[in-house]
Formats: sequence, structure tokens, C-alpha cells
Amino acid sequence: MGNTSVRNIKLGVFVLAGLLFLIILLYVIGKNQNLFGDNFQLSARFPNVQGLTAGNNIRFSGIQAGTVREITVLNDTTIEVVMLIKSSLKKHIRKNALASIGTDGLVGNKVVNIIPVRGNAATVQDGDILACQETFDTDRLLQKLAKTSEDISDIAADLKITMHRISNSKVIWELLEDKSLPENIRTSATNIQLATAHARDMTHALNLMVTDIKAGKGSLGAFITDTSLAANLNLAIEKIRQVGDEAYELAGNLNMTVGNLYNEVNTGKGPVAALLKDSVMAANIANSLQNIEKGTTSFNELLEAARHNILFRGYFRKQERQKKKAR
Amino acid sequence: MKSKSPPANNISERTYRTKNYIIASGYISDLPVAATNYYYIPEFMTPSRSWQSFLEETGVLLRFTGRFFSQCFRPRYEIAEFLRQCFIIGYRSLPLIGLTAFIMGLVLTMQLRPSLIDYGVESQLPAMVGIAIVREIGPVIVALIFAGKIGSSIGAELGSMKVTEQIDAMEVSGTNPFKYLVVTRVLASTVMLPVLVMLGDAISLYGSFLGVNIRGTTSFDLFWNQVLGNLSFGDVIPAFVKSFFFGFAVGLIGCYRGYYSTKGTEGVGRSANSAVVISSVLIFLIDLVAVQITDILGLN
Repeated sequence: MGNTSVRNIKLGVFVLAGLLFLIILLYVIGKNQNLFGDNFQLSARFPNVQGLTAGNNIRFSGIQAGTVREITVLNDTTIEVVMLIKSSLKKHIRKNALASIGTDGLVGNKVVNIIPVRGNAATVQDGDILACQETFDTDRLLQKLAKTSEDISDIAADLKITMHRISNSKVIWELLEDKSLPENIRTSATNIQLATAHARDMTHALNLMVTDIKAGKGSLGAFITDTSLAANLNLAIEKIRQVGDEAYELAGNLNMTVGNLYNEVNTGKGPVAALLKDSVMAANIANSLQNIEKGTTSFNELLEAARHNILFRGYFRKQERQKKKAR
Repeated sequence: MKSKSPPANNISERTYRTKNYIIASGYISDLPVAATNYYYIPEFMTPSRSWQSFLEETGVLLRFTGRFFSQCFRPRYEIAEFLRQCFIIGYRSLPLIGLTAFIMGLVLTMQLRPSLIDYGVESQLPAMVGIAIVREIGPVIVALIFAGKIGSSIGAELGSMKVTEQIDAMEVSGTNPFKYLVVTRVLASTVMLPVLVMLGDAISLYGSFLGVNIRGTTSFDLFWNQVLGNLSFGDVIPAFVKSFFFGFAVGLIGCYRGYYSTKGTEGVGRSANSAVVISSVLIFLIDLVAVQITDILGLN
């Protein structure tokens, strides 16, 4: 039956088309995951794989180079990532290449980047272990950012206080709002300018003067340049030295006199010793003092008597009242 | 029909159920079906009114499935009829399924674009559409369209054969009607649906490519690489495997409803209708189970 065979052919084409699509799909997916074709293994050890899983892509200088085959924990700080890499890249990857974990795009899947390093090194062999490069970890970045923002907020708080104080300070605002200030500053500037001009004139005059003095003009010039003055001065200084010498001699004589006096006192000779050591005279002096004491007592009695006298009583009473008042 | 069955009212509930079981036990061809048809309505053919009838119907369906498997592997094999059914069920469904899949891919792409633009990942549109189509939308949409077209046609075809006593005639002429009618159709739909799903996926992805290019510009190579670069075996294989089950469910339910069709032309319509409804629900149930199994296997 021709009709049946045509139908069967159509059916065959239909089924084959469906299966072909399935096979292509599976083949391409398998190719993407490096299940077919030549591969070799490389490993890298990381302290932290940041969520990398088996099947994630490997990039060599940005080129799709393979996939992660498996991830094993070696110990608490080392995680080994076994990578399947296309054999065609074997001759380009060198032993000193670095492996690092990155992200595909900003929020994409994790990828392992193999970064070539300058310098001569042999090409990798199957099963080699690549050194890992510490990469920026989003968590750590965020932590740092948090620290920075804290610092910024501290600074902002300080700045706020400072600004507050500045804006509350009357002096600065007065200064800023003072309309005469520019005028004053301008005047000051003019004055400074004038002063500078004067100073310059003065310097000029001084300069002239110094030149004159050097040339021996004027009294100072004469004073400095006069040679006879030096001789006179020498004479005067000689005189002063002579006076000094005489004074020294005088002091020596005086010293001798005092020494003699001292000896006299110690040995009991001479008028001074007599004056100091005469006991009769000491008795006389004591007697005289006794007499004076007696005289004073008598005088006190006399005064007491006068107080009670009718003539002087008024005066003393008045004095007492004044004392009381003062208290 | 009901007016013609006064004796049914006299039959006690118990007898009613007993007869029901007899029919359900697979001896249907030994009974004078035409005679019984006039006298009572088998309860499992009407919409389920109680848990008991629901469980009863499930049991009957399981027996039917068991019978399918026992007949399936026994000679003689109806190869020519199987191929004819494949042609009708598979090839003839392609235009409808192709159109649906194409529109689905195009529309899905255009609907997703604004959301992806909101997130700034417009470039991920092919990847996202690809995964959505291959994993879920392709198989389910194709299976639903397939259920609508094939489930109803099988249900109606077998139902009309049943009510016009052609099945009985076949029996009398020495052909095994179950083998010739049921086994070939169920097998054909089981095998054809995965093929249709694959082609539907391809057409859908092409629709999606056009959808991407309506607003933006993406070369076909880039689109293709982006779609396939984001797919894994875990996306393709579970979807492919579950489409076999979808096909099997559609074929089996269609045959079951048609094979037990009663009550003349009205019953034929009801068989076709319920075949579509039940197989559609079953597709979603199978999908639910499939996603759980995929998850357990770690392919998600």
C-alpha cells in the first residue's frame, strides 16, 4: 500500500526530528560540561570556596576552559577544587598560574579564574596543583564597608558639633557681618604699604648713614675713625687702674687695723677691752637701771593719783566711754 | 434512556453493586452488554458521588492498566495498527502542538521581558525562557493540548465503537479488541508524546528567539548558546522522562473511558469529555510526583 508507506516515512521523519533535537540538546549540554572530548585534571586549594559547586565554570584568561569536577574538604582550612580543563589549553597554562574564585557578572554563578602570571615556568601536567590567589570576598568587603561607614558617621558627628559651634559663635558671625571690616582691612593694607615704604626709606637712609660713617663723616664717624681718641682712652683706663690699686692698698690697711683691734680685745689691753671687761662699770650701769625703774614706779603712782584728782577725773572717764563705744 | 429502564428501580442496591463488580472485573465481553445497558447505569460511569465510587473507579482503572500490561507483551503484536496510530496520534498532532508551542514561547518571552528589565537582567531572557520551556512549560502545555486532541478522540472513537457494538463484533470475528484497539493506542500515545514534546520545545524556543528579537537584537548563535549554556542534564532528562508518563496517562484514560462507554451517543460524548478532564488532571498529578522525584534524585 503506497499510502501506508508514505505515512510511515512521514512518521519516521517526525520521530527522527524529535529524537535529533533531543540528541543535539544532550550533546551540547554534555559538551558544555566537558563530558565528551579530551580533558585533563588540575587542582587548586582554597581556604574558602565561597559557594562554588561542582559543575561551575573554569575560565582561563576569560575563556571557558572547563568545569569544576568535585570539591573536597582536606582539613578545616583547606578545600581542594578538582577542575576538568580542556586538553587544548594544556600547552598554554603554566605551573605558576594562579587560581582564584570569582563571580560571573555581578550576581551570577561562581567561577574559578585561572590567571596566567609573567615569568618562565613549565606547562602544567595532569593532576598539578595551582596556587590560589586571595580574592575579594563580598562578605569581607561588606565588613570593611561597615567599618568605614562607622568611621564616617563618627567624623560626621564631630563635624556636626564643630559646625554647630561655628554657627553659634557670635564672634565669627560678627566678624563676617561686619561691613566696616573690609574697609579696615583695606586701610590696614594701605598702612602696611606705607610702613613698608617708610621702612624702605629708613633702610635707605641707614644705608647712607653707614656709608657716611664708613667714610668718617659726622661725629660718630669721627669718633670711630679718630686715632687720637684711642690714645686718650688708654690713658684714662691706666688712671682707673691706678685708683683700683690704691683702693686695694687701703683695704689692706683697714684689714690690719681690724686685726689689731681684735687682738687687743682678746688680750685685754687697750681702751676697748677695758670698756668691755670692767666689772665696776657694769655694776654702775646696773645701779643706774635700778634707779630708773624706781623712778618709773613712782611716776606711775603719781599718775594714778592724778587720775583720782577732781581736776583730771572728767578726762579719764571720757576716755573710758570712748573705749566702750569703740568695742 | 432512563425511561426505558423500569427494572433498574427494582434491583436492590446490593445487586446493583454486584453487577457493577462483574463489569469491573474485566469479564465485560462475556456479559450481554447490550441487554444490561438498558437496565442500569453503572455507577462508576457517572461523576463520582462518594468516596466509595471514587475508590471503585480507581480500582477499575488499575485493573484496566494491569490488563494493558498483560496484553502488551504477549503476541501477537499489532505492528501495522500501532504505526497507523503513531501516525495519527503523533504526526497529525504536530501542526496543532507546533502552533501552540510557538505562541507559548513567543508570549512567555514577551511577558517575561518587563520583569527582567526591572531587575536589569534582560540579557538573561533566553536563559530563563529556555529553562522554563524545557523543564516545565514545554512538557505540560504539549501534554495538555495532546490530552485535548488525542484523549478526546480516542475516548470518542472507542466509545462509539463500544456503543455501536463494533468491539463485540471484533471479538466475534476472532480479533482481540483490547490488543488491537487499546494496546496500540496507549503505546502510540506513550511513544509519540515525548517526540512531540521535543519538537514542541524546539518550536517554542524558536518562538522565543523571535520574541527576543521583537524588542531587542540577539543573534541566533548567542540565543542558542545562552539557552544551552544554562541547561543541564537535570533539566532535559526528567522533562523527557515525564513526558512518557504524560503520554501513557492520556492514552490509557482515553481508552479506558471509551472502552467502558455506555448509554449510546450520550455516553460517547461523556466518555470523550471525561477522558480529557481526567487525563488533564492526571498530567498535573504526574507532574507533581515527577518534580518530587527529581528533587529527591538531586537533579533540580
